[in-house]
Amino acid sequence: MWQLDSSTLITVLTILASSIGIVLGCVVPALMEGKAVQKALDGITRQPDAANDLRTTLLISMALLESTAIYTLLVVLVLLFANPLLDRFFG
Amino acid sequence: MDVINPQVVFYIFGLPINNTVVSTWVMMAVIIIVAVLIRKFKPNIAEALLETINGIIGSVMPEDAKVTKYLPFLGSLTVFLIFANIFSIFPAMVSPTANINTTFALALLVFFSVHVYGIREKGLWGYIKTFSKPIFLFPFEIISQLSRTLSLTLRLFGNILSTDLVVAVVFSLIPYLAPLPFAALGMLTGVLQAYIFTVLASLYIASAVEIEQTEQERRRLKEELQQSS
Repeated sequence: MWQLDSSTLITVLTILASSIGIVLGCVVPALMEGKAVQKALDGITRQPDAANDLRTTLLISMALLESTAIYTLLVVLVLLFANPLLDRFFG
Repeated sequence: MDVINPQVVFYIFGLPINNTVVSTWVMMAVIIIVAVLIRKFKPNIAEALLETINGIIGSVMPEDAKVTKYLPFLGSLTVFLIFANIFSIFPAMVSPTANINTTFALALLVFFSVHVYGIREKGLWGYIKTFSKPIFLFPFEIISQLSRTLSLTLRLFGNILSTDLVVAVVFSLIPYLAPLPFAALGMLTGVLQAYIFTVLASLYIASAVEIEQTEQERRRLKEELQQSS
């Protein structure tokens, strides 16, 4: 195994963790949002009169679902661009 | 580092002024000029805009609520957010909402206005009583009040920052014409986020001011008693 000094190790681990985290944090909300849209479209085709109510509810709930992906993105951005661990150990 | 933290442009009495603050000032001037021009030359556009915002808020509020009471706050929030979210398409400007302090200030405004409207509608004691039904849910209600402020902040900030970042990354790879679709997507997301922020704010205000059915019944009975006596 290569000999890595600890700052390189932290950087490599940070990159690995951010990539895995952003993949999981984007895929799961996307799948669930697809489910929500599917159900809403189902409802609209069954009852076209209720389309306006459904659209408002759908947009609100999609925003709430989307925010988990946004939280992941923010954590990853902080890890990549403003890593607190590097500052603490090697500031 | 300077992706997340905005750059300091200059100092006023030792106070750092960020580029997002400068673009907020420019944006305020633009909004005022556009509003005055529309009012002078095309008043029907302003009327249509007002009707649209009124419809958006009214679709979320309960049926008997007076939307015009909350329209000044929520409507100016919408106009500010629509301008703020798409403001990075102008050269040398950044979106004011790509700074977490701006979005946190807006979320704090919503937080305090919810309580002010709720207390004004029900009185201080009546408003506190709605939190504790049943009594053991009181801590959870407090937590939900705080966490919704945090989620409003982070959602708007993350969306606007990420779309701006995507445009910047594509621009650094292919400078000509390629960033245009992403900028268009960013504008769409910005308007959608402004809509969602407004709808969520009016939803929170509606949940604070709505009077429950039993309460309404009791008030009606009380009034009838007073009239008959």
